Amino acid sequence: MSDATDTNSEAQEKLVDLAAEFYDQFERGQIPEMRLPTRTKSNIVFDEDKNVWVYGDRESTRSANSVRGARKLLKAVYTIEFLAQQLEEDRSSTLRELYYLSESWDNEEAQFNGQDESNNLVEDLEIVSDVKREDFHMRPEESGAKVMGPLLLREQTQRGDREIHCQEDVGQGGYQIPNNPDTIEFLDNDADFVIAVETGGMRDRLVENGFDDEYNCIVVHLGGQPARATRRLIKRMRNELDLPVVVFADGDPWSYRIYGSVAYGSIKSAHLSEYLATPDAQYVGIRPEDIVEYDLPTDPLSDSDVNALESELEDPRFQTDFWEEQIELQLDIGKKAEQQALAARGLDFVTDTYLPERLEEMGVL
Amino acid sequence: MTSFQSTLGEEEGMAAELAENQRAISIAEFFEKNKQMLGFNSGARALVTAVKEAVDNALDATEEAGHLPDIYVEIEESGNYYKLVVEDNGPGITKSQIPKIFGKLLYGSRFHAREQARGQQGIGISAAVLYSQLTSGKPAKVTSRTQGSDTAQYFELVIDTDTNEPEIREEGTTSWDRPHGTRIEIEMEGNMRARQQLHDYMKHTAVVNPHARLELKEPQEHFKFERATDELPDETEEIKPHPHGVELGNVLKMLEATNSQTVSGFLQTEFTRVGKKTAESVIDEFRDRHYGREMAWTPPAAHEDGDVARAVSKAVSNKGADATAAFADAVAERVDGMDRVAHTQLARFVDEEAAAVEAEHGKTFGDTVRENAVEAAWRAVTGFDPDEPDQEPSEGIVADAFALADDATSTRKDDETVRAFAERLGAKFVPDPDDDDVWRGRFTHESVRGFVDRAADMTEEREDATFGDTARENVTDAFWRVMVTVSEDPPLVSDLVGDRDATSELVEGMRATDIIAPPTSCLSPISAELVEAGLRKEYDAEFYASSSRDADVHAGDPFVAEAGIAYGGDIEAEGEADLLRFANRVPLVYKRGGCAITQTIKGIGWRNYNLDQPGGSGIPNGAVVISVHVASTNVPFTSESKDAVASVEAIEDEIELAVREAARELKSYLKKQQSMRKRQKKQNVLADILPVMASKVADVTERGEPEIGDAMARIMNNVLVERDVEENDGERTVSVTVENHSDRNESPDVTDIVDCEPRDVDDAATVVEMDGEWFVKWTPDVESGDEATLSYTVDAEASYDLSVSEIEGPKLTVNDQ
Repeated sequence: MSDATDTNSEAQEKLVDLAAEFYDQFERGQIPEMRLPTRTKSNIVFDEDKNVWVYGDRESTRSANSVRGARKLLKAVYTIEFLAQQLEEDRSSTLRELYYLSESWDNEEAQFNGQDESNNLVEDLEIVSDVKREDFHMRPEESGAKVMGPLLLREQTQRGDREIHCQEDVGQGGYQIPNNPDTIEFLDNDADFVIAVETGGMRDRLVENGFDDEYNCIVVHLGGQPARATRRLIKRMRNELDLPVVVFADGDPWSYRIYGSVAYGSIKSAHLSEYLATPDAQYVGIRPEDIVEYDLPTDPLSDSDVNALESELEDPRFQTDFWEEQIELQLDIGKKAEQQALAARGLDFVTDTYLPERLEEMGVL
Repeated sequence: MTSFQSTLGEEEGMAAELAENQRAISIAEFFEKNKQMLGFNSGARALVTAVKEAVDNALDATEEAGHLPDIYVEIEESGNYYKLVVEDNGPGITKSQIPKIFGKLLYGSRFHAREQARGQQGIGISAAVLYSQLTSGKPAKVTSRTQGSDTAQYFELVIDTDTNEPEIREEGTTSWDRPHGTRIEIEMEGNMRARQQLHDYMKHTAVVNPHARLELKEPQEHFKFERATDELPDETEEIKPHPHGVELGNVLKMLEATNSQTVSGFLQTEFTRVGKKTAESVIDEFRDRHYGREMAWTPPAAHEDGDVARAVSKAVSNKGADATAAFADAVAERVDGMDRVAHTQLARFVDEEAAAVEAEHGKTFGDTVRENAVEAAWRAVTGFDPDEPDQEPSEGIVADAFALADDATSTRKDDETVRAFAERLGAKFVPDPDDDDVWRGRFTHESVRGFVDRAADMTEEREDATFGDTARENVTDAFWRVMVTVSEDPPLVSDLVGDRDATSELVEGMRATDIIAPPTSCLSPISAELVEAGLRKEYDAEFYASSSRDADVHAGDPFVAEAGIAYGGDIEAEGEADLLRFANRVPLVYKRGGCAITQTIKGIGWRNYNLDQPGGSGIPNGAVVISVHVASTNVPFTSESKDAVASVEAIEDEIELAVREAARELKSYLKKQQSMRKRQKKQNVLADILPVMASKVADVTERGEPEIGDAMARIMNNVLVERDVEENDGERTVSVTVENHSDRNESPDVTDIVDCEPRDVDDAATVVEMDGEWFVKWTPDVESGDEATLSYTVDAEASYDLSVSEIEGPKLTVNDQ
């Protein structure tokens, strides 16, 4: 627990330092401002050393020189006060609670207009203070994903430590990753690889067919765009347990992004890529080439799908031979397919044929 | 037969009867029956018109005498009538003139003067006198004292409507406390329904005559309009008429009256802007119309058939081979030097060369010789053969005509048609020794056009081609352009006097000549400065703009347009803008809708100048006063009542330009206001946010409140002025610093009021002591981004008061500790 207090006071200190920076700016007669890296696609660069995508050199400035900037800074300062207080009391809250809380702040100008705004601000503070929001004791809404597989772990909860085996000690749903996966300690595992699955349906199919048992893998249900906790755990499993990671998602541009956030890091939290990304995670499918080869039932690409694909061609993280080839192919055929479409070949096709073949090709099996 | 005769007799009887009933109607009678024409149609209107006439006269007279006008107008209820009194400090009127001016319609010095005057606008004060006598029966009472005289003249008079002569009821001298001036008192039927118009008239007169002091006392209100300047308007000079602005009738009269004998002299003396050269140009135009021009042909080349030299030498006899040859060659050379030559030019060459040869060879070349030479040469040039009757035009003439016609007509006409046309046209120009003019090829523009028409008609018939109007015009012009103006002297003035046609040609010539615009010394515009001053004194606004255009000309009359705008402040923001119209410094109060000034204002897109204008046209809305003044020797009005300016393009254009000039200034002002407001808003929001932010930050860091003044100043792009006091051994060094964070150089006026004597004050500042307080005044020039400091010392604890001016409020932050 002293660890926690340490992190608490460290985080607190960093917050106070931020406030002090503004204070000093006032005293010096300077216009208070906050600088951070620009958080857009155009400012993502590949860090050769860490093998992940991080923010580049471009900066955005929030300055009290304009009404807009001043408002942002005011909100930031109010939030800093709140977080510091929270840490002092060793309490936590959700991002959504922060948004509502702001409605009660005395100064109207300090109140957030929407949760997006408060979410972004907390991320800004993460970056500027170099403290993870988990260390601010801020939780997101989304819960972490569910894990099923031969893995024994110990979790530090508020109500005491728990030892859990992710096949034997859990129900059909599997083990729920906590908000702060760093509270987990890996004790033992019998796994050969980790497979992160996008849809609940496919995850259930794998579990029902005993895929995790047969192939000794840890099935992680992403549930769409994976939460930080999920990505963090996947990364830890890769690094600490030395397990290869593959991602199995639908065959459409949004799913590729899901893969991207697991492997490359997200644009929004590129400052935490090192902490969250699993650079050598591989993409199993559905690939556009699968649509062709297995003649899967498809849907046509909508306009927004096409735009997203084209946007991905511009995304530095997808500028590899593999992705370029696949995306061009998809634009050509103009179709997309869900992973569950494999059922057209039979319910067991995915676990009997598709995955084993593909994973062998990839050198995972 | 009998019946026919008796009908005749009846008709005669009718005419005679009618003739009996006809008689002349006197002006005064005419007025009586047509009051509305002169502005006396209603009781309300009558009062305004009477005041207007009297005040106009007073203003004109005092200005002419070189005094600053001081005019008093009083309207008093007197039983069923109103008594109107107008008093001025003018030069006064002489005893003999008083009855005529007040007792005789259309008597006045203003009507014919070609200079800007208010008096042009009305029929005169006598109309008011007539009206009052008609309605109240009472005579007008006039008191007037001329400068330098001991007493004043007093008259009571009415107008005899039959004879249009004054009828004096009482006459005498009286004492008067004014040293000079005129007072008129009349009693008339009226009513104060036109109260608003009356007030407007007086107020607007005050606006447009900032040098005048006016006072209006009426039963319900008493206004005083003080003057805004002690400068009298420039004196106007009467100018002579401009050639472009005179009618034929006038010119005939002028010819009769002038002392000049020649047309050239007449033009130069009796008209403005006509010097010798211009007179010649006018006369040339006259020549073209009166005499016509002479056709010029391409001369034959030397040694061709019709060689000029040979022709001339043949025509000369008994002058000896040498002289003849010399003469012939010289003439031929002159001709050769011309692209085209006309008869009149030939005549000149012959004269000049004959004189030269005479001098050289001592042979006389008399008139006959010269005439023969000219004829011979002319025959050579035109290719005319004297022995052939009824001849066709020569090759040369046809070729020339073809060249001209071809050039002038479109390429679509085929050559054959043009050639045929040219032949026919050329035929008209074949010299006819029986007709002097035709011989010389002298024709008027009309005649030439006639030839062209006939030739074209024939061509259309015979060659089945079309020769439209444009083509005919072009050909006529092509010919006219190569035709040469003759050099005959114009008739003498005495000849023109009786000759209506010739005079008409002269007038046309005047109109056709380019002549510089008339001088504007006859005008007295108000000037942009005084337009503004006038608005300033009558309207409490926050912004004023004015403009005065250069003079322009219309129909020979010079005019000037001026405009002024007042905005904001106490001006009513609701509703339409106030439009003040003036002509020759007289407010136009009625007929707003029909006035060209109003139309012009309505036609401007005021939204472009940041005013509200629903529908994009019409009078704009808002807290605006727009004033327009047109000054001219002859302002065109829409009707006899002279309330509205007539629609004349040249004048409307100038009015629009003047208004737009002032409007542009308004636009910048409004934009600036807007950006100031934005700035203020930003300031307000930031003034809320930043201290809170500073406070919060202080809380979180557990420090005291930080100083945010400097940061605020920077953010506001302000000029920060602050004082710092440093104590050192009982002595206090005070430094006042001006920091310029804005993007412009500033020179603020800084005043620090100290209650203790400041010492060692920097040279840049001055110190003034008043009632135990020391005013340290300093005006540094601080460049953008720079700062300046003033220091001084005081002995003891002092109190200070810092004030800064010359920087707009929102831009200034003063830290007065």
